[in-house]
Amino acid sequence: MILKGRVINGGEAAGEAVVLDTPFSFIGEFDAGAGTLVLEGHPLNGASVAGKILVCPTGKGGTIAPFIAYQAMQAGKAPAAIVCETADPILCECALVINIPILDSFKVSPLKAIKTGQMVTIANGEVSVETA
Amino acid sequence: MLLTEREEAMARGDFGPGIQKCMEILIKFGEAIGAEKMARISSAHTMPKEPPELLREMTEGAQEINTFTTLHPLMAAFSPQSWKRMGLPENFVETESKLYEQRREIYRRLGFFQTYTCIPMLVGNLPRKGELVSWIGTGAQLLVNSIIGARCNRDGTVVNLAAAVTGRAPLSGLYLDENRKGEVLVKFERLEVDRLSNAQFGAIGYHIGAAAGSRNVVIDGLPNDLNLDQIKYLMAPLAVSGSVSLCHIVGLTPEAPTLDAAFGGKPPKETILIGPSQIRRSLDQYADGGSQVDMAIFGCPHCTAPEVKRLATLLSGRRLAGDKRLWIGMPHQHYHLAKLMGDTDIIESAGGVFASSCMATIPEAPIPAGVRVIATNSFKAAHYISRLTKGAVKVVVGDMDQCVEAVTGGNWREARS
Repeated sequence: MILKGRVINGGEAAGEAVVLDTPFSFIGEFDAGAGTLVLEGHPLNGASVAGKILVCPTGKGGTIAPFIAYQAMQAGKAPAAIVCETADPILCECALVINIPILDSFKVSPLKAIKTGQMVTIANGEVSVETA
Repeated sequence: MLLTEREEAMARGDFGPGIQKCMEILIKFGEAIGAEKMARISSAHTMPKEPPELLREMTEGAQEINTFTTLHPLMAAFSPQSWKRMGLPENFVETESKLYEQRREIYRRLGFFQTYTCIPMLVGNLPRKGELVSWIGTGAQLLVNSIIGARCNRDGTVVNLAAAVTGRAPLSGLYLDENRKGEVLVKFERLEVDRLSNAQFGAIGYHIGAAAGSRNVVIDGLPNDLNLDQIKYLMAPLAVSGSVSLCHIVGLTPEAPTLDAAFGGKPPKETILIGPSQIRRSLDQYADGGSQVDMAIFGCPHCTAPEVKRLATLLSGRRLAGDKRLWIGMPHQHYHLAKLMGDTDIIESAGGVFASSCMATIPEAPIPAGVRVIATNSFKAAHYISRLTKGAVKVVVGDMDQCVEAVTGGNWREARS
């Protein structure tokens, strides 16, 4: 299955998808040293997004979030790409500072089209989802 | 985006890899938010918490920066001068000091002014009405938009640093006339608005922020002679309980000579009424500390010299009781001013400690062991400290005299609403 959206930052990436149903923040809800989600009570609490394709509705979080994203990249624990419904400015900054692909504005919500654990490849501005 | 020749040269790498990286980020970011071109900015204010490698990467090859750039407070209460008297742990200070020195070397090369304050206009970063700036700090962004009438967007730390380095930022958002008009109207009922205390101003701001969200606010019905401290306590919480970036006060702030002008001739989308019960509701969120206060904090946003003078008057002839603590956040430049005035000697001999650092993020330092209850006159500090400690440290909000009373032998008494 191929999804086409708006490419905010291009490039290539491939990895397992982690599909988060709530807006993502690099501050407070993410451990930059471990690359894991910190979401008490959420099924994805503790899940690693390091080297994976993070799928989420949008971003949120304070103005310092891009520094945290950079620290995660330095530790080798940043996501490989971000695929979202609507990229808010802070999420864009986070992806741009560590130069990972970020895409949004898909016809079909990526939250519906992609499931956690599926292999996702991003190339030439397209998101390919491997179906079993 | 439509770029000038110079901006294209920056993006091509003609001025070195740092400026190139910054311009690439600004272009992609600008395109994502729908900006058609770049704007020239006249001043910047950046966050001194960059990973040093990122700061090097984004400034590699750049010599002196043309943009007048000042720096935000040191985060997490880190103070190279006062940490011992504050009781900060040595391992924290060791780590922070290394990063601090690495950054300072780069700031000196670039000519970033090491102001370390969240109110940069107090120390000379004072744009004029209508100028475009890129400032970090949601409180500073709100204040420069509102009380100066300069234009600032809610940039994140990386776009902000890129703007400082290149002197450019995408032309969008609050840079544009059409996005600076009021959306939400605030009015008062059953309140003597010329007799509000700073804690009450904060309580009002805390209520408005939650109700307004990210919309532009217009406050009508306040006296037109409010001083900077009163405006500061009123406005800072708007960017804490909400994410307001612009707040006009009719008859007082530069873009609101009249109610009609503040709204651009359009009717408000919503009206928020403020009376004693709204003030009470805010205060009640930070009233539950018991009577035993272990520490008082002032300077969120940073204290002005007149506030420190008032604190010296309150502390004259008194001392902190037992092992209680008092921290004051203020720009280090104003520390010298207050010292000349004789105020710092009184406060320090009473047991107070000054730091040119952030009083809202102190839990990251961490807060000295044994401190269970903190009193402050700042809703902003109360909000962040209680959340960053996940409630382990209770915070109560009141006026400066109540906070001083509670750490010099008296009990905490509740703020009036």
